Amino acid sequence: MIKPLLVALHEIRIYLRDRGDLAFSLLLPVVTFALMYGAFGGQDTFHSTAHVVNEDQGGAYSNLLLERLEEEDSLEVNLLSAREADSKLDRADLLLVLYIPHGFSDAVASSEQGQLVFKQRGNGGDEGQVVASIVRSAVDELAQEFQVHAQVSEALEGTGVGQEQINVTVEQLIKEERQELTVTVGEETLGGRTDPVEAFLPTIVTMYVLFAVTLTARVLVEERRRGTLERLLTTRIGVGQLFAGKLLAFCSRGFIQTLILLGLAYAVFQMFTPLSFIQSLVIALVFIAAASGIGLLISSVARTEDQATWIAVVFTMTMVILGGTFFEIPEGGVMSVLSKISFNTYANDALKAIINEGSSLADVGMQLAVLAGVALVALPLGRLLFKVLPGGR
Amino acid sequence: MTKTFLSAKNLYKSFDGRKAVDRVSFSIRTGEIFGLLGPNGAGKTTTIRILSTVLEADRGDVIIGGYSIRENPDAIRSLIGVCPQELALYEELSAVDNLVFFGRMVGLNGREAKAQAAARLKLVGLTGRAKGRVDKFSGGMKRRVNLAVSLMGHPKLLFMDEPTVGIDPQSRNNIYRTIEKLRDKGMTILYTTHYMEEANRLCDRVAIIDAGRIIAMDTPLALRSRIGPPEQVTLEDVFLKLTGRRLRD
Repeated sequence: MIKPLLVALHEIRIYLRDRGDLAFSLLLPVVTFALMYGAFGGQDTFHSTAHVVNEDQGGAYSNLLLERLEEEDSLEVNLLSAREADSKLDRADLLLVLYIPHGFSDAVASSEQGQLVFKQRGNGGDEGQVVASIVRSAVDELAQEFQVHAQVSEALEGTGVGQEQINVTVEQLIKEERQELTVTVGEETLGGRTDPVEAFLPTIVTMYVLFAVTLTARVLVEERRRGTLERLLTTRIGVGQLFAGKLLAFCSRGFIQTLILLGLAYAVFQMFTPLSFIQSLVIALVFIAAASGIGLLISSVARTEDQATWIAVVFTMTMVILGGTFFEIPEGGVMSVLSKISFNTYANDALKAIINEGSSLADVGMQLAVLAGVALVALPLGRLLFKVLPGGR
Repeated sequence: MTKTFLSAKNLYKSFDGRKAVDRVSFSIRTGEIFGLLGPNGAGKTTTIRILSTVLEADRGDVIIGGYSIRENPDAIRSLIGVCPQELALYEELSAVDNLVFFGRMVGLNGREAKAQAAARLKLVGLTGRAKGRVDKFSGGMKRRVNLAVSLMGHPKLLFMDEPTVGIDPQSRNNIYRTIEKLRDKGMTILYTTHYMEEANRLCDRVAIIDAGRIIAMDTPLALRSRIGPPEQVTLEDVFLKLTGRRLRD
C-alpha cells in the first residue's frame, strides 16, 4: 500500500523540481481563466462602443445627445476627429461612425431639422447596426422632448408664464417620467441561464482535464526511455503498484490545477455555492481519474514518447469534439448517438447540471458511474497490455 | 568448496526468430566475480535482463540463491542489484533522492534508505555532491551514482552491465576500487565489459559469449594459457582469436 504512495510522491517531487513545468502548469489555469474573463467578463448583455465625430463643438444639443449616449449602459462613447474617423473607415478599422455636423444645435434650436449622419462600411456590421439603433433611439427620445417643449411653450404663449419657468417645469416632468417609466420590458430566458461563463466553464474544465491524458500517456514511455522502468522492474515494487502510484500522482496534479480554475471562477464570478463548488470538485476528481487511467492505458501500448503524444492528442480531440465542448450537440441526430461514446459528454453534463441547474451529485449519479467505470476499466486494461506487450511484465 | 549462488541452465531467447541467447549455461559461486565478455550484440545484455527477471527466457531456468526464476521471481528480486549499461536515474533529482527512492523500492524504510544512501555515496566518493542534481554531474559521476543505486538494499548478487563505458580514468579507477571492496565483503558479481584488461584485473572467471552462445569459460590465466605463454598473451588476444576480427554491428 505504501509503495504506490511513494511512487506518487516521487512523481510529484520530479514535477516540483522542474520549475518551468511547475510554473507553466500552475499558470495555465490562471491564463485560461483570464482568457475566459477577458472574453466574457461576466457580461451577458450587449456592450459596444459608439464612435462619434462631433463637428458641432460647444453646441448645446450635440452635448446633450452625447450625454444621453454616455448614460446608456450598453454603450461607451469614443470621440474622434473627422480625419481620424475617415481614415479608420477607409482602412476598415471601424465599420460605423456617427457624425454630428456643424450647426446641428443651431438648427435644432431654430426648429429646423437637425440631421445626424452615419458613415458606414457596407451595412456597418451587426454590432454597428445595434449601435446605430441605440443612437436612433436616443435621438428619437431627444426629439420627442424638444417637441414637448415646443408644444408646451406654444400652448402657454400669452399666459404670462415665463419661458424659463416652462423649460424648468417641462424638464422636471420629463426627468420624472424617465425615472418612472410607464412601460417597462422584462426578460425571461428559456433553457436555463445564459451567462457565457457558466455555459463555457464546465467544458473548459473538462477540456483542460483531458490535456492531462497527454501528460500521463508519456509517463511510462519516459521511464522506459531513461532506463528507470527496467530498473524499477528489478526491485520489489509490483507493476500494479507502479500503475497505482502514477495514477495517484497525475490525479493529484490535475486536481490542483482544476482547483485553481474552479476556485478563481468561484472568487471572481461568485458562480458557486459552497456545496456546488465541492460537488463540482468531486465530479472533476472522478473525471481526472478516468482521464489519467486512459493516459496510462496509452502509455502501456506506446513505444515512443512521440507515439504516446499523438495517440493522446487524437484521442483528446475526438473526445472534445464528440463531447460538445465547442458546440451544442442537438438531440436525436447521429452526433448525439456518437457523443455517448465520449466520456467528456458525461463530465460536461454532470458539471453543467451542478453549475447551471443547481442539481446535486445524486442527480448526476449515472454520469459519475460512467466516469468511474472508465477509470476502473482503463487501469487494469493498461496493466494487462503492459504485461502482454514486448518489454513488459 | 564454495557454494554455487547462481546457476543458469540452457537459457534460450529469440526476438523475431533471431537467436539472442542460445543454450547458455554457467554458474557463479558465492563471492565470485564472473565476467561475461563478448562483442556487440553477442547476447550479454539479454542474458543479464533474463537473470534480473526483466525478460522471460523462452526456454531454460535460472536458480539464484536457491530460488527458481520461473517459480519465484519476487524472491530473486530481493537478492539482486542491477547496474544497467544505460544510466537509469532521475536526472532532475539529487543523487541522494535517487538513492533513497530506489532504496524504498527495494523495501527499505525511510531511515534505512537514508542511512544506506549516505554509505553508498561515501563508497563511490560522492558524499560532497549528495544533494547535487544528477543532470549537473559529469558522465563519470553519473556512472558512480548508477552503481551506488544498484547497491541499495544490500544485494547478495550484483549484475554490472558495462559499468565503465565512456568515463574518465579517475572515475573508472574509483569503480574498480569499489568493486574490489564489494568482492572483499563477499558480494557475488556478474560483470560484462568490452575492456579486456578490466576483466583480467577484476574477474575470477570469465565466459566469452558470441552469437548468443558461450564459446569459452575459465579463469583469465587459464584462457590466456590456451593460446600461448600467459605472461606474453593478453585476454584481448584470446578474445580476438575466439570471436574473430570481423566487425560486428
